[in-house]
Amino acid sequence: MTPTSPDIERRHKAPILLISIGIVAVGLLLFVMNLCFGSVSIPMKEIWAAVFGSDDATYRAIILDYRLPQAITALLAGIGLSISGLLMQTLFRNPLADPSLLGISSGSSLGVALVILLGTATGLSVNTLSLWSTFGVTVAAFVGAFAVLLLILALSSRLRSMVSLVLVGIMIAYIAGSVTDILKFFSQKEGLHSFVIWGMGSFSNVSKAQLPFFAVAVVAGTIGSFLLFKTLNLLLLGERYAENLGVNIRRSSMLIILASGFLTALITAFCGPIAFLGLAVPHIARFLFKSSDHKLLIPATAFIGMDLALFCNLIARLPSFEGNLPINSVTALIGAPIVLWVIFRRQKVLK
Amino acid sequence: MNEVLHTYNLLIGYKGQPLLPEVNVSLCEGDIVALAGPNGSGKTTLFKTLSASIKPISGEVKLFGKDLRDYQPSERSSLFSLVLTEKPDDLFLKVFDIVAAGRYPQLGLLARLKDEDEQIIYDSLQTVGIGHLTNRNFVSLSDGEKQKVMIAKALVQDTPIIFMDEPAAFLDYPSKIELVNIMHKLSREQHKTILFSSHDLDLLLRHSDQLWVMAPHQPLCQGTPKELVEQGIIDDYFKPIVAKEEFFWMK
Repeated sequence: MTPTSPDIERRHKAPILLISIGIVAVGLLLFVMNLCFGSVSIPMKEIWAAVFGSDDATYRAIILDYRLPQAITALLAGIGLSISGLLMQTLFRNPLADPSLLGISSGSSLGVALVILLGTATGLSVNTLSLWSTFGVTVAAFVGAFAVLLLILALSSRLRSMVSLVLVGIMIAYIAGSVTDILKFFSQKEGLHSFVIWGMGSFSNVSKAQLPFFAVAVVAGTIGSFLLFKTLNLLLLGERYAENLGVNIRRSSMLIILASGFLTALITAFCGPIAFLGLAVPHIARFLFKSSDHKLLIPATAFIGMDLALFCNLIARLPSFEGNLPINSVTALIGAPIVLWVIFRRQKVLK
Repeated sequence: MNEVLHTYNLLIGYKGQPLLPEVNVSLCEGDIVALAGPNGSGKTTLFKTLSASIKPISGEVKLFGKDLRDYQPSERSSLFSLVLTEKPDDLFLKVFDIVAAGRYPQLGLLARLKDEDEQIIYDSLQTVGIGHLTNRNFVSLSDGEKQKVMIAKALVQDTPIIFMDEPAAFLDYPSKIELVNIMHKLSREQHKTILFSSHDLDLLLRHSDQLWVMAPHQPLCQGTPKELVEQGIIDDYFKPIVAKEEFFWMK
């Protein structure tokens, strides 16, 4: 196939393979570092031994019971939140959209607030640590998030414009937020404390038994999102063009909200509200691959999200710290400068 | 000449309020049809109705002898394509990707472009004269170039009918001439039927085979530009504008 005329320019393909190998390599390195570093440093060679049967029971316990589940949780959360953010940004054609836009994470906060704060207020259970790890918190977060998701889906079939839908989401977030605040006002110290801790996010709350369920659900959400890539690409042209090219706008919007909301609800339930990954990562992916093609962006976003979450998790437990820093502050601390950098670089690229 | 589209007692408008009396018009294969009318006369509403974006209040639109609403959305995408005034604004959207999107209805689940699909995309870029812009970011193009990209997208869709809503808006004179050339090439060589709206007298009168003239709450008039001029319809249409204006230099 040769072009019919010399002045036609063939399509340049981005060096996708090279960048992808880079991203995956960084991911692997960060994953191993997540297993090595912490309050106890474990030599690299011990990791292999620990996973495949080692004499050293301490190392084995630290890695298998603590660091490995945490690293896997972090990377899954990174993948899910980043994709969720990408879907929101494309659906609403707004670079500031993120997974919390439709009030889903506020819904889960409210669910958790009800369980923790009402629980302590009525003196049912007091112990902060046991509350933290109870299944109840996860279930409450899940129920809160899905309640909001269903509400949004129900309303989305009645609303004509995307802007109204965003406004509805923000209003739901406000209502959930203020009810949460009222609950906080009437709650006792212990309850408040564990609620604040939950709000800081953590990758350590997924138990080994829950991990397979969490993983399967995140992967399912990711594959479901990928299958929407054609619709997402067409939506970038604008609704009327998309409609002309065979997209049923209402049904597609609901599917996108369902995929994005499912991932957000899931991850918020297991890890608490995690800020910034979902906002920052899609920008990094678009910038690195200089593309808006979702067939490329969805996998790219997933892998970069994985890298960034692992990196944040590592920073959160730098060896010099006893215990972990709140992951929510670390993601914002690291994510915000990256977004700023991308914005400034982008101006140059587009000239 | 073969009719490709016909409207029967079509009432268009919103919330049951018709914008003008019943519309009975037809489009013939290979014609360039211009749609004229002041702002608010319902040009865009007519476009949206003909492209199945909104429902008519009553009456029907027959596309190749079948009611527009009886087609599946995927079938419609192979019958008519759109060129609109609203343009994509995503920062990293490439010209190639936009034009390739026109091919999506014909592609499978993974939207893999075969060699022949790519060739169709390059041919369309060539037809509208922007073969050198393949890798450019859409937002960095001029208005004229953007318009050509959207026309290339419509061509890739390979539909017998193309609807263009004010394609000449924002275009300078040379770009307008290029647009006319492209429209003629498509109609005369590829036998596409083109319906476009415009406020540009030159385009309306000199470069269309048929003219539809709309005015708020007036019946739509269809005819060749010559007929409509001779019947005084064009005059009537512009009279209120000229009469209302007070030109200070005329005093």
